Amino acid sequence: MSEAATRLEPRERLRVAVHGVDALRRAALGRMVAEAGHVVVGPKDIADVVLADGDAPPGEVRPVVTLGGADDSLSALLPRDADPSQIDAAIRAVAAGLIVRLPVTRETGFGAMRETEGHALLTPRELEVLAALAEGMTNKAIARRLDISLHTVKFHVESLFRKLGARTRTEAVAKASERRHRETIIL
Amino acid sequence: MSDPTDLLVQFSNALVARAAAANNAVAAIRLGHGRHVTGMVWRSGVVVASEQALPRREEFELVAPGGSVVTAKIAGRDSSTNIAILKPAESIAAPTIVAGEAQTGSVALAVGADGTGGASARLGLVNLSGPEWHSSRGGLIDRRIVLDIRLAGREEGGPVFDTAGACLGMSTFGPRGQVIVIPAATIERIVPQLAKDGRIARGWLGVALQAVAVPDALRESADQSSGLMVMSVVENGPAAQAGIVAGDIILSVDGTPAHRFRRIARHFGSDSIGRKADIRLIRGGAVMTVQTTIAERQAA
Repeated sequence: MSEAATRLEPRERLRVAVHGVDALRRAALGRMVAEAGHVVVGPKDIADVVLADGDAPPGEVRPVVTLGGADDSLSALLPRDADPSQIDAAIRAVAAGLIVRLPVTRETGFGAMRETEGHALLTPRELEVLAALAEGMTNKAIARRLDISLHTVKFHVESLFRKLGARTRTEAVAKASERRHRETIIL
Repeated sequence: MSDPTDLLVQFSNALVARAAAANNAVAAIRLGHGRHVTGMVWRSGVVVASEQALPRREEFELVAPGGSVVTAKIAGRDSSTNIAILKPAESIAAPTIVAGEAQTGSVALAVGADGTGGASARLGLVNLSGPEWHSSRGGLIDRRIVLDIRLAGREEGGPVFDTAGACLGMSTFGPRGQVIVIPAATIERIVPQLAKDGRIARGWLGVALQAVAVPDALRESADQSSGLMVMSVVENGPAAQAGIVAGDIILSVDGTPAHRFRRIARHFGSDSIGRKADIRLIRGGAVMTVQTTIAERQAA
């Protein structure tokens, strides 16, 4: 359990349902919520707050924190790349009946195509390791799944951290998911 | 009372005259709930607006210069260049718009519609004027123009002038509220196509791609260090018909290396539709070439 989780009193822990279409992104958000000390529940379970990647499920009546959604009737509108502390603060705020908005009206705008520099591009193998990280697998389990040595897995994880500028597995998954969202090309 | 030889008075008076002259170039586009954005009266019967600022609706009410309200239909929109055009039911007389070139450090006047037929004005500098760039939606923007002006949401889409009264382009919001300009050259290029077809036709393969590093073992046979990995394939799309599957790494299109998307983007302009393209790719550790026929991309 993370430091934040042990610090929280049980009554400060909220039940959060994570909604999103992209499984990798959903997993990353679930881990983020858990590391902030809350309890991740299933989409149909009783929850204090719904954290939605993009638009909220139709007919949702619980307080919703959306990342990148545009529906102005939702409790909290955060940008898609909001950091964990902002997400945690928004979850607590909407559970307390507040609404959350950013100070500027338009956090996203018409921008340039962003492309990762060559040296930071991931290899197909690293993408496989990353998908396993998103599922919360241990190095041992990853080695078994990909049929490679534990040493090689560690090597790939180190390389992922370096290329993504991440310090933890959760951060690596979150950054890779953000990069994928931003840089996927539809052709 | 004011001294007419005072430079600041002259400067201010000149701005007043410019803002008054610009009034004929702006129309308010009503969004409902008392909100509006600005449209630029580009040609008689053509109002240009910021595509991202307009809800997906067919028809809007415009407040023309002077205050008369007319309905206008969306005649075309292109998210790749952030340009939309509206055709008012009654033609709005357009001022003569002369395209100007932005220079870093020059004074710029951004004009918006006040919602009642008048204009609002903002003054600042061209913070940066740089080379052409590609938007995240793949559109080519002729110049990178950033202003050091703050803009209200209702002023987005209005014209930006230099001190000679030439139009640098249309104001819009970039990331994090930064105010940028869609250059007049881009508007001149896109508006006729939009007026004709309602959209900008683009080539399409039916794949989602992500840049990846080519594994070390394959660098020699691939002869490049990165490519675009196929993340998903649209059923029955051109790529699917050519047998391209998720996991393939595209190395080049008709000989142009695919390690940077902007480099191959120009292979998929409106003239590419119907053309055959040779795609070199890595599949299962081997380099091979497949041929596809580029189709037309459907509106998003």
